Amino acid sequence: MLRDRVLSPYQHGSSAIHRLPAGAKLAAAVACILLIVLLPRAAWGAYAAIGASLVVVALVTRADLYQLLVRLLLLEPFVLGIALLALLRPGGVPLFLSMLTKSTLCLACMILLTATTRFSDLLAVLWRIRVPSLLVTTLALMHRYLFVLLEEMERMQRARRSRTFVAGRSSSWRNSAQVAGQLFVRTSERAERVYLAMCARGWKV
Amino acid sequence: MHVPDGFLDARTLISAAGLAAVGLGLALREVRRHLPARRVPLIGLAAAFIFAAQMLNFPVAAGTSGHLIGAALASVLLGPAAAIVAMTAVLLLQALMFADGGITALGANVLNLAVIAPLVAYAVYSAVGRLAGESLQGTLLATGFAAWCSTMAAALACAAQLAASGVVAWGTVLAAMGGVHMVIGLGEAVITMLIVAVVARARPELIAPAATAAAPPRHRAAVAYGAMLSIGLMILLAPFASSLPDGLEHVAERFGFAESAIAAQPALLPDYTVVPLAEASPWLATVAAGAIGALVAFAVAWFVARALAAPGRTTARH
Amino acid sequence: MSLLAVHQLAYRYPDGHEALRGLSFSVEPGERVALIGPNGAGKSTLLLHLNGLLPDRTPAVPAITVDGLPLVEANLAEVRRRVGLLFQDPDDQLFCPTVWEDVAFGPQQLGVREPQLSQRVSESLVRVGLAGFEERLPHHLSRGEKRRVCLAGLLACDARLLVLDEPTSDLDPRGRRELMALLTRLPIGQLIATHDLEFVVEICPRAIVLDGGRIVADGPTLELLDDEALMLAHGLERPHILRHRHPH
Repeated sequence: MLRDRVLSPYQHGSSAIHRLPAGAKLAAAVACILLIVLLPRAAWGAYAAIGASLVVVALVTRADLYQLLVRLLLLEPFVLGIALLALLRPGGVPLFLSMLTKSTLCLACMILLTATTRFSDLLAVLWRIRVPSLLVTTLALMHRYLFVLLEEMERMQRARRSRTFVAGRSSSWRNSAQVAGQLFVRTSERAERVYLAMCARGWKV
Repeated sequence: MHVPDGFLDARTLISAAGLAAVGLGLALREVRRHLPARRVPLIGLAAAFIFAAQMLNFPVAAGTSGHLIGAALASVLLGPAAAIVAMTAVLLLQALMFADGGITALGANVLNLAVIAPLVAYAVYSAVGRLAGESLQGTLLATGFAAWCSTMAAALACAAQLAASGVVAWGTVLAAMGGVHMVIGLGEAVITMLIVAVVARARPELIAPAATAAAPPRHRAAVAYGAMLSIGLMILLAPFASSLPDGLEHVAERFGFAESAIAAQPALLPDYTVVPLAEASPWLATVAAGAIGALVAFAVAWFVARALAAPGRTTARH
Repeated sequence: MSLLAVHQLAYRYPDGHEALRGLSFSVEPGERVALIGPNGAGKSTLLLHLNGLLPDRTPAVPAITVDGLPLVEANLAEVRRRVGLLFQDPDDQLFCPTVWEDVAFGPQQLGVREPQLSQRVSESLVRVGLAGFEERLPHHLSRGEKRRVCLAGLLACDARLLVLDEPTSDLDPRGRRELMALLTRLPIGQLIATHDLEFVVEICPRAIVLDGGRIVADGPTLELLDDEALMLAHGLERPHILRHRHPH
């Protein structure tokens, strides 16, 4: 399912890049992004070099390049939307191109990172660098239950659709809102049970 | 409204990140101190819920659909501090896993969507909630208007960051983003009200109470932060508002409206020397535009709240 | 000394509803006991008591003793270690990002560190037949596998008594068979709340019937479940496996 592919950026593999520790990969990605952001606007040579290196890394990972490209293309519209604002001032074309390039390179960095690093490993890195535990716990629980909730949501939407005989914008809004509202109620009830399960195994806040 | 990497300059990125860190730090401290232990897992699961809810489609026209931002919804369902933590988690996940929103721009995005938006939402929710009363209609009205205000606040903050980074002139970006989000904010208001109505009917105790006079001081502090932010943003606007007419003209020129407007005018008012409001006092014009938008939003929220709270609704076929 | 001793356990919900009315029973080490009864009988409420999750404040006079330890505030952590509670929905219990982390959660709270930690995790996974599952993600597992990971998490804490809430409720026939084989292999005492009467006949020598918050019967499974009148009176029925049993 497209949504599954969109949702799970990680591509299982055993390349040299995959086997690097998550902390190193995260640091490298952040460093690369910082470099790109701090480069002067017209550093076209540098942009080309970075772009080429990213392509090389992508090849080394032996990842499914088509999937990587799809992810990149899905994210481009947002970049374009903001970059277009630069065209609203006179002489904005070089700025527009520069921002577009920078942004796209940064996106490529992140896409490569997430294709070769599991989110649970990234969480472990955040824990190690002393990100507040409450935030890391929240991230972990969110990631764990995201797919559970999405499945629940899908089931509820299907059930609603099977009883919706008149398709229309307003009924569609009402259905989606009903699903969301019910989902929240169920989610907070589940949160209670998760709390009990955590206590049952000795958890203290 | 997620800003990707490569748009904001270093100064903006750093100051936004600093403000975001302060906001998040205060929220984390508040949660650690005052949230009962059994509600802690709810923050994580609620973050998953917000993420999931953001994927719902709300069709608008001709194949486009709107989506929920969720900051106001989080505030009304979790309270401001937990909402800040939950929205931050959502943004972190989006940036780390899906490259939705940049890494260097994370501070700015967290500031706009995870700190400013929930705080403004809660402040407005509390203020309107106190005035409108504890009925379902009052709660929904407060929710809807709060959602619109929080969308506007986040959009204005984002616009300010883009302008400060020299991406685009302040007047232009204010007109573009402010104008667009006045409409998007209406959608956010309606969607948030619809969802809260469902929850309020099923489990009213899940809705966070508006900070009343009897509420603990820290709740009122949250309202105060939100109010200060709103006022702060408005003050920020004032010195830049003089370029608003230029901004509007720019946008108009780009899309070819300017000439047709000039052609129409002389015929209407041949001997009249009315000084247009925009030229006389740009600041007033900006405030007027914002006020009109807010009034429209409030009216929409009022009507929708009344419709949703009408007694016969639960028995209607849906 | 009994593994579990419950004496006159009573519980009333905040809204006034009396869920448990003076329950008394015991479980010996290594015993496998089924807890059966209609919906609303109080089975889940009872199970939550055994782990100290209910009531919100442990009573001054304990109604429950685990392995000789009275269930009071001071012993809460230790009792929770000895009584491994398996929740009905494994998704509620499997809350960590990976299988390894989830099985390691309990021992970590108990202060176990590397290298014993990893050892315990792999041993527990082997015991439940999931060797090599350490790096798997929970939402990629089948229902039965999720249940077994939860069990591994309880075994990793060195639980003495396993308390299971509807363990076969949503398993396919293979998952159910695997779970039954696993439970019979584990020498630990077990109290199993279930609707699956065939399961009860096959692996639980003793059964307790709960209805309306009271124990209405407690004895050998075959005797109780073969008593049609008793079964029907308490929202149950005589399982097919007994109806068609031929004397050997």
